[in-house]
Amino acid sequence: MSEKRKRRPKILMIEDNIFLRKLYRDKLTRAGFDFIEATNGIEGLNKAFSENPDLVILDLILPRKNGFDVLDEIRKNKKTKNIPVIILSNLGQEMDIKEGLARGAQEYLVKTDIRLSDAVEKVKKWLKK
Amino acid sequence: MDRKQTKRKKAKFSDVISIVAHQLKTPISVLYGYLEVLASEELGKLNKKQKEYLLDARKNVEVISNIVKDLLDVSKIEEGKYKLNPQQVNLVKICEEVIASFASWARASNCEIVFKKPSVDVKAYVDPSKIRYVIENLISNAITYKSLGPARVEIGITKKGNNILFSCKDNGIGISKTDAAKIFSKFYRSEEAVILNPSGTGLGLYISKAIVELSGGKIWFRRNRDKGTTFYFTVPATHYVRKKKAKTKNIDDRG
Ligand SMILES: Nc1ncnc2c1ncn2[C@@H]1O[C@H](COP(=O)(O)OP(=O)(O)OP(=O)(O)O)[C@@H](O)[C@H]1O
Ligand SMILES: [Mg+2]
Repeated sequence: MSEKRKRRPKILMIEDNIFLRKLYRDKLTRAGFDFIEATNGIEGLNKAFSENPDLVILDLILPRKNGFDVLDEIRKNKKTKNIPVIILSNLGQEMDIKEGLARGAQEYLVKTDIRLSDAVEKVKKWLKK
Repeated sequence: MDRKQTKRKKAKFSDVISIVAHQLKTPISVLYGYLEVLASEELGKLNKKQKEYLLDARKNVEVISNIVKDLLDVSKIEEGKYKLNPQQVNLVKICEEVIASFASWARASNCEIVFKKPSVDVKAYVDPSKIRYVIENLISNAITYKSLGPARVEIGITKKGNNILFSCKDNGIGISKTDAAKIFSKFYRSEEAVILNPSGTGLGLYISKAIVELSGGKIWFRRNRDKGTTFYFTVPATHYVRKKKAKTKNIDDRG
């Protein structure tokens, strides 16, 4: 009853490229999501713990703490361990993809291969579950 | 000592290429994303000219993106890290798709593409996207390096034992004896090729050779008797592991 949480699902994007953040911020906001962002691994992890996001979009090559380590800590923490994480990275080698999924990401998207609209579909898909 | 020095220099050069290419990936994705949103008209209707400009911009991002992909492939090939993901693939279908994608360009270039389509599907054990790259490059070379006037390109696929033989015959400018030895090396382009198509990179055949050889096949060409060039490659029809010598011997002994 006293729950004031908004219905709009909240997405946290951890990404150091300002243009990609803007692109996803605008697109996901238009699609009806709340959007918060972090520009490095440490800030991202702090927001993952404090902001209760419903889904995290995670880059791998990040300042201060790399994405794999961020993912590990998200999975280790009771509060965040079940949040769906979508990796959105430039690393497209099979080895990286396997590692990302093995560490507990729900989805691994390669920046140069994925269209923005398809990425948004993936976000919607994981929020439905 | 000289040799060592050039080797060191070479390693550095390919490092630079690889670093630059990696750095270009993110801005390319950014451009793709922005253009996608604008073209979808979710930010507002576009007039005809604006749409046309966006399409042109997209095509040019694609050009940059393809060069970057080629450079990254080259650096992976040189590091021995180029990986294929082979599976049973219908080559007839891939040829048809590639030819269809080149149809309007070929028409505009006054070049007729003839596919001597086999009556049955021809399956090969290859990486689908990589073999498509090889076929695209051979056919696009045949169209690009055509002579003045109408041209004809003939594509064939046949099964030869456990191998598939692909051929692409053109009646274009041909390859001189001096160029013949070099065209599979990276960045090499004949003088004539540079004049005809200044924007080529000279990586297509180098990467194609690596792909075909890693698939377990061979790639080569012949200078046609009359005019032009025919490129060939073979790839295995099925996944086939070479039997160990000892085993073969045993079977032979028994037989
Ligand atoms: N069908 C052909 N007829 C005549 N010359 C050819 C043909 N195919 C290739 N060549 C020669 O071989 C060179 C190397 O070809 P390759 O496909 O590797 O590079 P490219 O076409 O110059 O550039 P790109 O990297 O954009 O494909 C060409 O520049 C040209 O000199
Ligand atoms: Mg070429």
